Amino acid sequence: MRSPDAVPVRGAPLRPLLAKELREIVSGRALWTMLLILCPLVGYSFWQAVVLYGEASAAARDSPVLASGLSPLDGVLVPTFGALYVAVTLLFPFVAIRSLGREKETGALRLLVQLPYRAPTLIAAKMTAIFGAWLLALVPAASAVVIWAALGGHLYAPETADLLFGHLLYGLLVGAIALFAASISESSATAAIIALAFTIGSWVLDFALAGQPGALDWVARLSLTQTLRTFEQGLFSIGLLLGVVAAIAGFAALSAVWLHPGMPPRTKLLRSLACVAAVAVVLALATRLGSSLDLAEDRRNSFSAADQRALAELRAPLLITVRLAPEDPRYVDLRRNVLAKLERAVPGVVIRLATTGQSVVGSTGEEAYGEIEYSYAGRTDKSRSTSPREILPLLYALAERPVPPPGAGEDYPGYPLVADARPALLWFFAGLPLLIVLGWWWAHRAPPVPAQLVKDGGQS
Amino acid sequence: MTGSTAIARNPTAAHPTALMEVVGVAKRYGEQRALVDISFTVNAGEVLGLIGPNGSGKTTLLEAVAGLAPADSGRILWRGTSPAPSRRREFMFYLPDGLRPWDEQYVARVVEFFAAAYGRPASITAQAIGALGLAPVLRKQVGALSKGYGRRLMLALALITPQPLLLMDEPFDGFDLRQTREIMAVVRDVASNGRTLVLAIHQLIDAERVCDRFVLLADGQVRGIGTLADLRAQTGMPAAGLEDVFLALT
Repeated sequence: MRSPDAVPVRGAPLRPLLAKELREIVSGRALWTMLLILCPLVGYSFWQAVVLYGEASAAARDSPVLASGLSPLDGVLVPTFGALYVAVTLLFPFVAIRSLGREKETGALRLLVQLPYRAPTLIAAKMTAIFGAWLLALVPAASAVVIWAALGGHLYAPETADLLFGHLLYGLLVGAIALFAASISESSATAAIIALAFTIGSWVLDFALAGQPGALDWVARLSLTQTLRTFEQGLFSIGLLLGVVAAIAGFAALSAVWLHPGMPPRTKLLRSLACVAAVAVVLALATRLGSSLDLAEDRRNSFSAADQRALAELRAPLLITVRLAPEDPRYVDLRRNVLAKLERAVPGVVIRLATTGQSVVGSTGEEAYGEIEYSYAGRTDKSRSTSPREILPLLYALAERPVPPPGAGEDYPGYPLVADARPALLWFFAGLPLLIVLGWWWAHRAPPVPAQLVKDGGQS
Repeated sequence: MTGSTAIARNPTAAHPTALMEVVGVAKRYGEQRALVDISFTVNAGEVLGLIGPNGSGKTTLLEAVAGLAPADSGRILWRGTSPAPSRRREFMFYLPDGLRPWDEQYVARVVEFFAAAYGRPASITAQAIGALGLAPVLRKQVGALSKGYGRRLMLALALITPQPLLLMDEPFDGFDLRQTREIMAVVRDVASNGRTLVLAIHQLIDAERVCDRFVLLADGQVRGIGTLADLRAQTGMPAAGLEDVFLALT
């Protein structure tokens, strides 16, 4: 039974906590410094992307084939948002760490944990503030999208939203990691080292180990950067979404576990293990969820609509045995042009890499190296091609189905544009920074004091 | 030593209306014993002083009682029941020493945040601001406050909280003589309005002025518990002040 003089821990209003967390994050210099750095970073990336896109567009002006290769997603949006990615990787951890690290350093945390909020509520409020900071960090890149549209550039809403959503997930993941680093560290400096070890470490993993055979490839897939790669290709993967959300929730939960200074370390460790186990289970489930949506306007992740429909009707298991080393460029081609699309289109496809653990150098001497074997409904065929134009008819033959006629009007036209983005530099190098400085001033101004707070005087 | 141990072994015997009982709390930092079998009671409405020199374990004890530092052993009983450490904040609020929290926020914002979190009416907040003379600095950043105003802000936050028991670590540090007396009056006023206070104080003169009872700590151990009269009787020094009693018991 609750004591009559007890102060209930649940039911405390969230609004003051959220307001306090938002004020804390905007009162730090880290956020405003990041925003000021983002302006030229995004601005220059955008300008350069528009210039290069314009050069390619000029060459494609009289060639529909060349024009069809011009996608604003690849040409402008991904490079522009790449600047946001760099800032989020290198600078955003400092912003997120501040939401907790400063409270640990000044001892405010010892007051905060006594307030009538549970640890998960405190962490949820801090994550909300981190989300708010990410939204502010998005402003330069979002303004670049608006400028692109104003210049006459084409935007396809689903793929643009997908890219934005990927960056949101990446930002929240980095934020959650930084918050966790702050919760286990006594100082912000240590937290920054831990958080950057995650972000920069996974960056290094991404470019050092990607494409390597065997276990190294698996390790490379742990890179945080992989989170973005799928969204940058216009794919919305349910499994990836579940996995990233689980990782964000996992790091946030770990932050809550390590938040309270009064909890014995043994209890913290046991609860951490429970968190890690729960996240591992969700991640394992997420890897089994293969469903995804191709939101790219050029449908680069799918075959033609007719092929997609025909392949979806292949109900028997399709076994593909690939005799190529994972780092072989032909395998990379095959993976991108055929296998990844088949995985999305055919319900029961199983891909087996017969050369796992072998390298190109050690395998190319074998006669069978380079062969890809397709088995469906007891029938088998082989090919060395990496092109869907040859492989799809082979599959239809195995399935004893007719090759579907190509649909009309499905070809991606491409969106060439020659535009002058130099005036935009003025916005990114002067206008936006000025607005940010004004925002800093507005956020730091002294608040009005409600009259009822000083009605009793308050003499010192 | 024997007298205080006897009191410690049966901490509630003399206080059947104990608000809180601290029973056998112990804590080590590696090889160092910070708290050794600490037991005492806190009665409703009193001002209890935890008295001891620097390093005697006052802060560690308060943090362990408040659930902000894990104790190795021992129990904290609230009206006879033993709430989990995470629930103790429902009954008590601990004000640590030397804090300058949320130093880039304005004083008014911090005060308003505390009041809003506990759903306290503006009149309570205004009362705390008035009692501690915070009005002139409400539009200042916490980090820009002088040491004295910083302490006043912390005390105001404690006064805004609604818990029946307040634990304060060195509440008079940072004040000059006149200010200390003002703050003592505020503390006594708080107690007279029904709240119970446990104050960790290393200045014995301050403690003697403001506290009803004392728990004398040295080297992490309880060396005496009681009113000044009780302690005088224990030491056989009927006219001694708290300083002499403390020296005799430690």
